[in-house]
Amino acid sequence: MQTPVRGRVLPVVVIVGLALAACAPNQAQPSGGSQSAQPSSNLTGGTVKIGIAGFPDSLNPGNGLLSESYTLYELVFDTPVALAADGSYVPELATDWSVADDGVTWTLTLRDDVKFHDGTPMTSADVKFTLELYRDTDAFPYLPSYPDVFSKIEAPDPTHVILHADSPIGNFESRMAFIYVLPKHIWDKVKDPVAFENKEMIGTGPFKFVKSVQDESIELASNKDYWKGAPFVDNVTFQTIPNGDARVAALANGDIDLITDTPTTAVPTIRNNSDLELVVANPVSGDLRDIIFNQITPENCPPKDGECTGNPALRDVTVRKALATALDKSQIITVGKSGLATPGLTLVPPGLGDFYASEVPDYQFSVDAANKLLDDAGYRDTNGDGIRECLPSQDCKTGDLTFRFNYPDDIDSGAAEAEAIKGMWQAIGVKIEIQQLDSDTLTSICCPAFDYDVIMWGWGSDPDPAFLLGVAQCQEIPTGFSETGYCNPTYDNLYKQQGVEPDHTKRVAIVHQMQKILMDDVVYVIPYYQQYVEAHRTDTFTGWSQDLAPLGLEDPSQLSVLRPTSAQ
Amino acid sequence: MHGRGRYLASKIGWAVVTIFVVITFNFFLFRILPGDPSRSLIRDPRVNPEARAALIKRFGLDKPVFLNLEGGNPLDSQYFAYLGALSRGDLGQSFAQRDQSVADLLGQALGNTLLLIMPAQILSILIGIALGLLAAWRRGTSIDAAALIFSLFMWSLPTFFLGLLFLFAGSQWFDLPTAGRVTVGASYATWWDAAYDIGRHLLLPTLSFTLVLLGEYMLIMRSSVLDVLSEDYILTAKAKGLTTWRIIRDHALKNSMLPMVTLIALNLGFTVSGAIQVESVFSYPGLGYRTVEAVSTRDFPVLQGAFLLLAISVVIANLAAELVYGWIDPRVTEA
Repeated sequence: MQTPVRGRVLPVVVIVGLALAACAPNQAQPSGGSQSAQPSSNLTGGTVKIGIAGFPDSLNPGNGLLSESYTLYELVFDTPVALAADGSYVPELATDWSVADDGVTWTLTLRDDVKFHDGTPMTSADVKFTLELYRDTDAFPYLPSYPDVFSKIEAPDPTHVILHADSPIGNFESRMAFIYVLPKHIWDKVKDPVAFENKEMIGTGPFKFVKSVQDESIELASNKDYWKGAPFVDNVTFQTIPNGDARVAALANGDIDLITDTPTTAVPTIRNNSDLELVVANPVSGDLRDIIFNQITPENCPPKDGECTGNPALRDVTVRKALATALDKSQIITVGKSGLATPGLTLVPPGLGDFYASEVPDYQFSVDAANKLLDDAGYRDTNGDGIRECLPSQDCKTGDLTFRFNYPDDIDSGAAEAEAIKGMWQAIGVKIEIQQLDSDTLTSICCPAFDYDVIMWGWGSDPDPAFLLGVAQCQEIPTGFSETGYCNPTYDNLYKQQGVEPDHTKRVAIVHQMQKILMDDVVYVIPYYQQYVEAHRTDTFTGWSQDLAPLGLEDPSQLSVLRPTSAQ
Repeated sequence: MHGRGRYLASKIGWAVVTIFVVITFNFFLFRILPGDPSRSLIRDPRVNPEARAALIKRFGLDKPVFLNLEGGNPLDSQYFAYLGALSRGDLGQSFAQRDQSVADLLGQALGNTLLLIMPAQILSILIGIALGLLAAWRRGTSIDAAALIFSLFMWSLPTFFLGLLFLFAGSQWFDLPTAGRVTVGASYATWWDAAYDIGRHLLLPTLSFTLVLLGEYMLIMRSSVLDVLSEDYILTAKAKGLTTWRIIRDHALKNSMLPMVTLIALNLGFTVSGAIQVESVFSYPGLGYRTVEAVSTRDFPVLQGAFLLLAISVVIANLAAELVYGWIDPRVTEA
């Protein structure tokens, strides 16, 4: 089961999750985020102008891959269940949901006061239609994986939808958080949903779609009849400005009110301008940087695609632990991200709320401790070339701890980070040969070929931890999802348990235990979690999110609570 | 068929053959490159295998590339499907934006690019010719030196750097927009207001592009005029007592235009590739921007379409140049 997450390969490829939010207009405090201390204003109206780096790849939610697209969907559509700032799930179009005693029959109770932008009431027929459309359209890249467990969906009356699953599921809410409800009366006339451009983009969300000009701009207008109350501003426009410096210049001269993907080099400029404000936070489901060790054993080498040429020393957990201990994460963050990142810990990022196992101790950075680990295990530099030799029992090609180190060409900070890591590992007698690769080539040597030693790459996460944790299962070795070749039956059993555990607290406990196992076995090392850096003008609108952690910065919900600073 | 007719027919014939070769070469180029087009189609390895299979089938990537040798119709392959679609004017669907046709994406970008580049080309050609002529006429004077230094400087300045300077200066001091083609969300009362808004957006990119092109035109024009001025017939004209201006207008100008025609044709041909650097700096939604996006997302159908457009325009521009040669210099058609 896969879930939408940022493509490992393409930096812009998405993440669903990134921009999720409980849209909470007209509430003094959006859940989880505190508002700025700016003087409150009762004014309404105005156009919020946002500068973004890319352009949505589709107005059709089924086709979307880019984060820009999902930001737009969050504004124009509603979902049955929404993800709140603290990572919990809250009602949106559904007021309530429950599972019957059989554990497989779920019932959604819907609001009865919701209208689509064209004035048609939203009913259970639309929700049923949407779920079935997403489930049955195979060529939609992400969305089918959410409703795919429901073999039968019924709409007995206008406010109830009954979903029949084949087996118990532990993450019902997360399966409802990306179901952008579509109007049946428009979509049931569509013969080929993948080729449908959806140029009208009718939804039920807080903003109505007005106009889009390819690669240039998107215009939205506030939905005055929104069931939660209309947003205070009249319009929101997105302008595509791919050049980061131009984006900052447009913000500084007032052409734009808010920019996302702020270049870290522009941070001092923004901090020095009194009309601009910088906000840095951990998104709900952010990206992480990971260092992948090839741990595949000859027995587990995939018979069809496996090359399995990794240095055997990496299969020794002591070596991996020494490598992890010798990494100075804060140094990597300084050179790679100008200090704007959160030090990494487990494979599940902090934005996932209570799923994040913050209690697990990190590898304490110490060159001495790392050296001692290797010394004690018998890895010594016997020929005096500064590189420790492998153990006699290991069939190392180079005879020593020399590792190939690859990273994809789409990590901007890749070269700086790789060089920093090279220096840190040199200090413990480990040599790496750095080579940057195009991401397709990297995928081809990675998995399931296992033709590498160490790879530095990244994951985006889904708001639910199931996907990221799933990649460490034995069964994913031949599929190419497992990058490490790690295989541990205890872990796999826990994975199965969390998948069917309906009790949230119990599921969280299992998920924490799994993260502890991955840390103990040093399956990955996570140098850092990415942060989102956003900048906005304080002289045009008030009510910007100031402290959204862990909500993603590109949080569309703040657009519903902004007010102009002067009558417009 | 003699002379001119045969010359024309052979040039057009070669142009058609060239375009066909380019179409075929482009098609196989993207399939020889490392990386699997089906992986490029959906580059997220976590997409459902079912979704991947459905998309591969949808884009015909499950068919053999060149010839179907596994029974059935041997022409049931990706290559012949592509040729068939092309003959109907269908450039295919984008991989990255699956509900968008390549023709729509490129058509819109081409319009924007022409709006940016045509004024810049015309300005730089006119000013370049005038400056070149002036410098050659006043050879060795301080005017010549100044024009030469200015042109060399502009020609050697990196485009993106000049663009960035304009971007910062323009937005800081002249309150000009830094990005885009129009003011987003603006509604215009009159036709004039719309033109004014677009003009404000185009000012900086057009200026950058004009200055960058200018240098080359000026330098070539200058040296070409100098060549012509050293010819015997110019001496004869001088001996006849013609004024310098008449010598230049009637004798030097037309003869020194041959190398300029070549250069202009080449530059115009490459125009459709868009001013990639200028478009990137000013976030202008033209062909250059679209091509860069397509490269970074491995959007092969869009790249194939963009390359085709580029090839066709280069071939047509060359064809036009050859025809213009025939008109400027009748000796060419007889060769």
